[in-house]
Amino acid sequence: MTRTEFWQGNTACAEGALAAGCTFFGGYPITPSTEVAELMAAKLPKKGGIFIQMEDEIASMASIIGASWTGARAMTATSGPGFSLMMENIGFAVMTETPCVVVNVQRGGPSTGQPTMSAQGDMMQVRFGSHGDIAIIALSPATVQEMFELTVKAFNHADKYRVPVFLMADETVGHMREKILVPDSVEKIGRKPFVPGNPPFKVTDPDLIPGFPTFGTGQHVHVTGLTHDERGYPAATNPPLHAALVKRLVDKIENARDEMADYDIVNPEAEQVFVAYGGPVRTVMQVMHDKKDKNVGFLRIRTVWPFPEKALLEFKNAKRFLVPEMNLGQIAREIERHVTVPVVPIPKLGGELHTPAELAAVLEEKA
Amino acid sequence: MSYDEWFRTDRLPHIYCAGCGNGTIINCTLAAVDQMGWKKEDTVFVSGIGCSSRAPGYILTDSLHTTHGRALAFATGVKMAKPAFNVVVFTGDGDLAAIGGNHFIHACRRNIDMTVVCMNNQIYGMTGGQGSPTTPLKCLSSTTPYGCAEPPFDLCELATAAGANYVARWTSYHVKELEKAVKVGLETPGFSFIEVLVQCPTAFGRRNKFRQVADHVEFLKSHSLLKAKRDRLIDQGQPVPEDMFVVGEITKRNRPAMGVKP
Amino acid sequence: MKLSIDENRCKGCNLCTKVCPYTIFREGKRLNRKGIAVPELDRPERCANCRLRNLYGRQLCGVCQLTCPDQAIHWVEEEPYEPHKVAIEY
Repeated sequence: MTRTEFWQGNTACAEGALAAGCTFFGGYPITPSTEVAELMAAKLPKKGGIFIQMEDEIASMASIIGASWTGARAMTATSGPGFSLMMENIGFAVMTETPCVVVNVQRGGPSTGQPTMSAQGDMMQVRFGSHGDIAIIALSPATVQEMFELTVKAFNHADKYRVPVFLMADETVGHMREKILVPDSVEKIGRKPFVPGNPPFKVTDPDLIPGFPTFGTGQHVHVTGLTHDERGYPAATNPPLHAALVKRLVDKIENARDEMADYDIVNPEAEQVFVAYGGPVRTVMQVMHDKKDKNVGFLRIRTVWPFPEKALLEFKNAKRFLVPEMNLGQIAREIERHVTVPVVPIPKLGGELHTPAELAAVLEEKA
Repeated sequence: MSYDEWFRTDRLPHIYCAGCGNGTIINCTLAAVDQMGWKKEDTVFVSGIGCSSRAPGYILTDSLHTTHGRALAFATGVKMAKPAFNVVVFTGDGDLAAIGGNHFIHACRRNIDMTVVCMNNQIYGMTGGQGSPTTPLKCLSSTTPYGCAEPPFDLCELATAAGANYVARWTSYHVKELEKAVKVGLETPGFSFIEVLVQCPTAFGRRNKFRQVADHVEFLKSHSLLKAKRDRLIDQGQPVPEDMFVVGEITKRNRPAMGVKP
Repeated sequence: MKLSIDENRCKGCNLCTKVCPYTIFREGKRLNRKGIAVPELDRPERCANCRLRNLYGRQLCGVCQLTCPDQAIHWVEEEPYEPHKVAIEY
């Protein structure tokens, strides 16, 4: 059963989190993500959850990691400047394999930039922003419906893969109101149970993910951001162990690339192919609707990281990939790595979506 | 004494230098924890980065060794998400007062029910002896080679002003008093802060005329001024010696607290 | 009960020699295999905890154990029939 609502993107995100069983929210106000925190502050206590407004985004990220180890599904929401502050503890979450969800409603940067305008400038920061070699999962919603669904999915991915998962929305989607079908219940994939007796970070399964030894279950687990052995004890001066640990942390995500790939394909025989995620998806859909041209394809990506590169290969006749983004071509460069035909970035800065005319004009250009 | 069973004995001996007082403080804290009759699975030790913050790695409970200065923010998450847990935080002067200063005052303000033991060696020990916010004036360190020119923090006054329910200061010489103070801290609902001045022979003592551990401990002993005595001196209108530091129970009150056990 | 110093843990800081009210601990002179001079015990039968712990049924004094930063000082029960000196204070 579903019910129909008319919601803002940020509302859908918070409702999605509640539906997914989020019980801890640590946040700090920042435009344009504040509505998520406001709604969680109003609704979480009534559901027996905890909302806490921390002193800064560093602390927000820290608090959700702490809460996650007690077994809670924990999340925070922020935007560009706060996201930069979170980088330190995002690395900690990756190293300690802590499930958590971070919503980034992107705004124009660098620095304070455009607090109330839309952008997609954090797509590379989310992938490579924290120091060291990391692998994370980033999802990008284009509609209010997806804000809800991908938030739920983010929690499931976080618990399944034991990694911080990012919902990389943008101000356009976050502040837009549209129709949404809200299901009565959602699928919840919990954490892999821990086998007592094993060392806490010992991996026995081929998916490279250890079971989760929740605090308070008597496992006496030592969680450290230092390079650690399978018992969790620091072993920072052991080169082979460090190499194996970092390789495993990256491989557990990279190996699941196909499993978590989430995209739609329109007109796979086309020669000109739009690739888009987040806000620009909406403009491309308008162009596709207006043109009704079998020769114009569209790859709509929801799981941006790890990048679903196999989706690109489904466009066998592709002569050009056109990538509208609200940045100077961050994902376009990633696409270039995977294809042999030209990739045309269509950057748009300033905080507004591309207009359909702008995209149509690029379509008319001769390759 | 049975606090022995709180150690991860497979990890001992620990990494601290010979003569470092951090081990003493772990002993006193665990002795107090042991007297509380807490279960190991309901107790979480949290720490940041630094010499002091290696402590939870030697304690047989769930432990969280986090990023520099953020221990209190992580501990806030743990305690708020599960108030039934007993949360104890080990931290150092650089971890708490410098990079974690903001988290410190806000944890005091929120008055979250946890106990914080700050091992104040007045220097950054793990990185090799740089000046910290509690390095006394004129003391030498590798980043204050001409003597520290910045006045130091008084962490206890800071915690009191920010709203902690229990604040005490002792030194690594006063083991029995420290054990009792930690126990009172553990019993007090709300934020308890125990600052422990500790000798650091490797990074601090060697540059500041305490080449022998015993000399530094003797200094800590002879320059401690009991709070009651300080108050008496003030009442009598006599001058308080400037080179001494106040030890004892500095604050105990009952402000509204967060995250208290149900 | 008798005092015992764990040679594997002791780092030879000699803090115990400063804090024992009976000055039972003396600076060691002989280096062990780790190159550490572990303190020696001077008439350990004087230790209050050794003498009276079983009588009182609780920890007495214990300052050396609390102070030892390396968790090297412990009390152990004597083996059955193990001879031990008894110090009597008048």
